[in-house]
Amino acid sequence: MQISKLFIDRQVADHPITQSIQSSLKLPFEVVQTAQQVYDAVSSSNDPVRQGKKCLYLTRNRGAFLKKCPGTHYYTCCDYQILHIGSFCHMDCSYCVLQTYFHPPILQYFVNHEDLMAELDTTLGQLRNKILRIGTGEFTDSLIWESWTHISHLLIQRFASQNHAVLELKTKTTAVKPLQNLNHKRKTIAAWSLNTRHIIDTEERRTAGLDARFKAAAECETWGYPLAFHFDPLVIYDGCEDDYIRVIQNLYSRISAGNIVWISLGTLRFPPSIKTVIQKRFPNSKIIYEEFIKGLDGKMRYFKPLRIQLYRKIVTCIRDHAPNTVVYLCMEDDEVWRKALGFIPADVGGLPHMLDMSAARHCDLKIGE
Amino acid sequence: MDCKPSDDQDVSETLPQNRVINYRTILLSDIDSENQTFRITTRSDSEDLLISIRRVGLTQPPLLMTDSAGYTIVCGFRRIDACRSLGWRRVFAGILAKTVDRFKAAQFSIADNASQRSLNLVETSRALKLLDKFSPDDQQRRDAGQALGLPTNNSVAQQIKKICRLPLAVQEGILANTINLAMALELGRLDPGCAKELSWLFKELKLGLNKQRELLFLIKEIAERENTSIPLVIAEKALQEILKNEEMDRAVRRQKVRKYLRQRRFPAFSRAESNFRKWVGQLKLGNNIDMIPPRNFEGETFSMVLRFSNRKELDDLKTKIEQIIQHPALGKIFDE
Repeated sequence: MQISKLFIDRQVADHPITQSIQSSLKLPFEVVQTAQQVYDAVSSSNDPVRQGKKCLYLTRNRGAFLKKCPGTHYYTCCDYQILHIGSFCHMDCSYCVLQTYFHPPILQYFVNHEDLMAELDTTLGQLRNKILRIGTGEFTDSLIWESWTHISHLLIQRFASQNHAVLELKTKTTAVKPLQNLNHKRKTIAAWSLNTRHIIDTEERRTAGLDARFKAAAECETWGYPLAFHFDPLVIYDGCEDDYIRVIQNLYSRISAGNIVWISLGTLRFPPSIKTVIQKRFPNSKIIYEEFIKGLDGKMRYFKPLRIQLYRKIVTCIRDHAPNTVVYLCMEDDEVWRKALGFIPADVGGLPHMLDMSAARHCDLKIGE
Repeated sequence: MDCKPSDDQDVSETLPQNRVINYRTILLSDIDSENQTFRITTRSDSEDLLISIRRVGLTQPPLLMTDSAGYTIVCGFRRIDACRSLGWRRVFAGILAKTVDRFKAAQFSIADNASQRSLNLVETSRALKLLDKFSPDDQQRRDAGQALGLPTNNSVAQQIKKICRLPLAVQEGILANTINLAMALELGRLDPGCAKELSWLFKELKLGLNKQRELLFLIKEIAERENTSIPLVIAEKALQEILKNEEMDRAVRRQKVRKYLRQRRFPAFSRAESNFRKWVGQLKLGNNIDMIPPRNFEGETFSMVLRFSNRKELDDLKTKIEQIIQHPALGKIFDE
């Protein structure tokens, strides 16, 4: 989605990053006293989600930059930490939960990097005895900001200067050029969300194609970055198993198995409120008409045996290619782990520990330094 | 008694004239019955009126407006039909003065219908739309609606107004009380062919609103998933065989239709439910034990309900539970 208007919080109008973004974007802008003015401008549109993708709001984060991943009770969470650099995304995936997560959803970027870095310094300093996995790709795509900001550069440098935390940049773009020639010291994981060509073509509007994502990942590998891949959401449709297997074959033909820190798998799940948004905004999408039940966290999920069946196929395929790749399930219970992967997180010290160890191996982490 | 007016009879002097309505006998052929602008009634038959007019004559003259081609009916569509059926050539009618505008005529039409009976939802909808169409402004429309006893709550009125635009089959469903307002409006959002088929289905099965909603949800989602249409889902052979099976009473057909559609929409889930029932059946739990699977088969925790009223009964259940634990069907339940 082309950004067509800039809203600037009065309090950050003179901030150097605001001015830098303004001069890069060269867009009509409006200085606002309150966020409500932006919300009103977006909410009054017939399609507030679309409108929210076309307006960029530059403001400061008044809350915490580091947040725990909003995992839910019952299902196993990976204990990831989110670095909240901004929110929403100008790509347009039908299933994106951000469409209803923010009210209204607005492409928003926090320019107070000084506060972000201070908070990061404090956390990294205080938790020296703990491996930390921190990512920017939860409330937004990590790399959509690269054309107008230097956020990744800033973060990659900061993470390179310590030894117990990794930064994961998760994306569906190919905006990796700014990552080249950085002295990242393998403390940044370049990660891609992957899906089948069919799902990318039909459900992931304005994202990079599968080959382009692989090409970008391969480039990052040549620049020394450890990589990760997220098959999330896995979408069930006729022929999906074969399609996902082809994606995995493609992945291992282009990326070194030994450089993959982890692969996550998560089948499509969504809050019930997303369904009407998809019906309205993506009338040709069929993804919501598969067999969903309401899960124990209130989200709609595929009926459990269907999830297990798909996970099994994919896990088998990954293990055929690379038995040592760390594969984990995002927000699943022990039964699904047992039936899909043959073990439960507790067998290996818990999911966070399992991922910490993989991060430590691939990213040369040491705690207590 | 022959009450047919003679061609040369002039009865205009029998009713008081005023500046708004003039009464006179006119040729039926001068009345444009095709123009249904002011029609409020949903009844199309005039058999009952025909009998009474034949017997006692036309006691209440229809009300007409003049137009370039002759007369437009304001009130008395069925009366004029009945007179035509009786072979009359002329009819005694009130003619609105040319100074009376269409907004006023609409109020005459609504008042005439409302004075004879409570308007049904379709008629109320037509009345509201009529005021909308001819009222010069909102205030006058609201005042007229209130005076004529039409719904004054804006949101209710807005909903009711949509009814007269719904496909005929849905309007008929409303009149036959097989579809209520909420469902009618839901059907109104579908294309007319789909709404018609669903109206027919609801009429066939005489379903309450919740069940109608359930079937609508299932059928719509099957159609969406399979890129087909609602009428084609309803026309499926297996569904039609249930619907057309006259040996089954309606309650059984209702149940079978719901089950069939649930299986079509959620095949794996329905299979799991069916298998669970099968394995539990093999456990022969008896009347005092129930086994409940995790909700939606999502969690891992099963529940068991035991009913007993004394120590002996509880002891019997203990024995029964030990048998259940050893039974191979229990393993099947956990493995599913």
